[in-house]
Amino acid sequence: MFSAENLISVGIAALLTAGLYAIMSYGLAIIYGVMKVINLSNAGFLMLGAFLALVYFQRWHLDPVLGAFVNLPIFFAAGWIVHRLLVRRVVTALPIASLLLLFGLWLVLQNLALAVWGGEDQSIITAYTYKALPVFGFRIPVTRLIVFGVALVVLSILHFALGHTYLGKALRATVQDPVAGLLVGIDTEQINAMAFGLGTAFAGFAGGLLTLLFSFNPDFGGTFQLKSFTIIVLGGLENLAGVTVGAAILAFAESYAVLFMRASLQNVIAYALLVVALIVMPGGVAQLLSRRRT
Amino acid sequence: MPAARASLPSAFGLVLLLALVPVLAPGNITLLNLGFLTFLYVAQGVAWNILGGFAGYVSFGYAAFYGLGAYTTALLWLAGWPPLLTYPAAGLVAAAFSLIVGGPTLRLTGPYFSIATIGVGEAMRILMLNLDRITGGASGLNLPTAVPSKAWFYLLALLIAAAAFTVAALVRRSPFGLGLQALRMDLEAAEGLGVRTALFKNLAHTLSAFIVGACGGLYATYLQFVHPDTVFSFTQSISLVLITLIGGIGTLWGPVLGAAVFYAVQDYLQTSYPTFHLLVYGVLLILILLFEPRGLVGLAGRLWRPLAAAVSRGQAGAGAGRTG
Repeated sequence: MFSAENLISVGIAALLTAGLYAIMSYGLAIIYGVMKVINLSNAGFLMLGAFLALVYFQRWHLDPVLGAFVNLPIFFAAGWIVHRLLVRRVVTALPIASLLLLFGLWLVLQNLALAVWGGEDQSIITAYTYKALPVFGFRIPVTRLIVFGVALVVLSILHFALGHTYLGKALRATVQDPVAGLLVGIDTEQINAMAFGLGTAFAGFAGGLLTLLFSFNPDFGGTFQLKSFTIIVLGGLENLAGVTVGAAILAFAESYAVLFMRASLQNVIAYALLVVALIVMPGGVAQLLSRRRT
Repeated sequence: MPAARASLPSAFGLVLLLALVPVLAPGNITLLNLGFLTFLYVAQGVAWNILGGFAGYVSFGYAAFYGLGAYTTALLWLAGWPPLLTYPAAGLVAAAFSLIVGGPTLRLTGPYFSIATIGVGEAMRILMLNLDRITGGASGLNLPTAVPSKAWFYLLALLIAAAAFTVAALVRRSPFGLGLQALRMDLEAAEGLGVRTALFKNLAHTLSAFIVGACGGLYATYLQFVHPDTVFSFTQSISLVLITLIGGIGTLWGPVLGAAVFYAVQDYLQTSYPTFHLLVYGVLLILILLFEPRGLVGLAGRLWRPLAAAVSRGQAGAGAGRTG
């Protein structure tokens, strides 16, 4: 069980999972970073992204990877509208108000999907779903490689955009200090709407990609959402680059833990890490507290 | 709330009125079932409100207390205890667990506490599913079939709801309740004024966990079956959040009104659209957060401003009774 070969193959699986985790957590991290809003509706948009990918696939035989890219502008617009109509009105209230509001939105999305598509599990089977590629002697499912590759490319583009464009810099400045951002002439209201749109776009994108690996139903997303929280907390909450680190920590912890415990207990690791990280990570929590008071 | 002083006498009158139902209509099983489940939710909503409403700590993890209570009663019942004796034990187990998780998690503020409670609640559900030697795992546990009558359950749930309401009303008026409200408004200022915030938060958490645990026990005997996926479910946790927020968070009558509406809507929609009620609650929750943070109680007060006192004293109570 603990042979070198086994450990390496678990390591590869963990690395591939980390890419998936990073792409699904970025949306949450951007919205939290810019607005200090915990977006509980992320799971709802993730689920919708998966269902839309299914619709494209059934109607136009569109590959789910392309479907995920088609989702980007649609969900950006949806996020923008949600921000204009709902979130904008509660961001000045207590932080719990926005969390509960977006929780209400999650319930609405979930049950609308239930009304439209029913509760059965859906899946997308493409020509390459069951194929595997040999890499250094290990057979790796093609779908996992695709998801990892796409995640890597998209995240690289995001990092470049955050570092080298005006919008990216304005967004990062707002993450660091919204008031100072306002002082140097950044339209933070606009940045907030952008961030919410971008975050939602990432949720829809990740949802589309996830259809390559998992079956889904309207309840889809809850588990991933909680894992995403674990990841952004581990990554230091305000640190967008930390998402990648958090995703890697969680993916490796989960993958190797399965060698020691029942596979059905795997999700407990993420939840336990979430609670522990929230409580004992002094950097993250202390930062949060000081931010909330100002 | 100007009517707060009159809350206990009017609640007492309402309870007496509702207690007549099994006497007048002992054969109406549908009504007795509806009443039982509504009272069970009233008790839990009122209990949740002590921490979530008075102190402002919104927990998404109360299913852990409900589930632990249900399983405590189930296991003791199977071991030969009379059901009535298991309920306090169920409450105590839930309360003990609340102390263990409350110690660390209640240090978190606002939304971070909420997120942590989702983690705790879901972790408990998965752990219980995997402890199949004790909990029956994914097949659940069948319990004895010899149970008291529906009227007995109805009256006991009414009693628990009334007791929970009395506790909440007393807490609200006490220095303890004022301390909770102070720490909700400003934790540091409350601490500066000498409120023992850590103690108060944990006390509120434990008190409400005890009530919810006892409710879980009562539910286990009523259903004669327990399953980790129902009693520890996330849906169970969010029901309490929705009941209290829709009724009116932080108010005394809010959870009562919220539970009555919650169960009436669920019962009405369940036959035609099994999970459609959650859509309704989602929309209601959004509207309430945007326009009327004090929920239905606040809405009632706003609609009949001139009659506000009479509404919250008389009609809100009678309305809750009619729908329940």
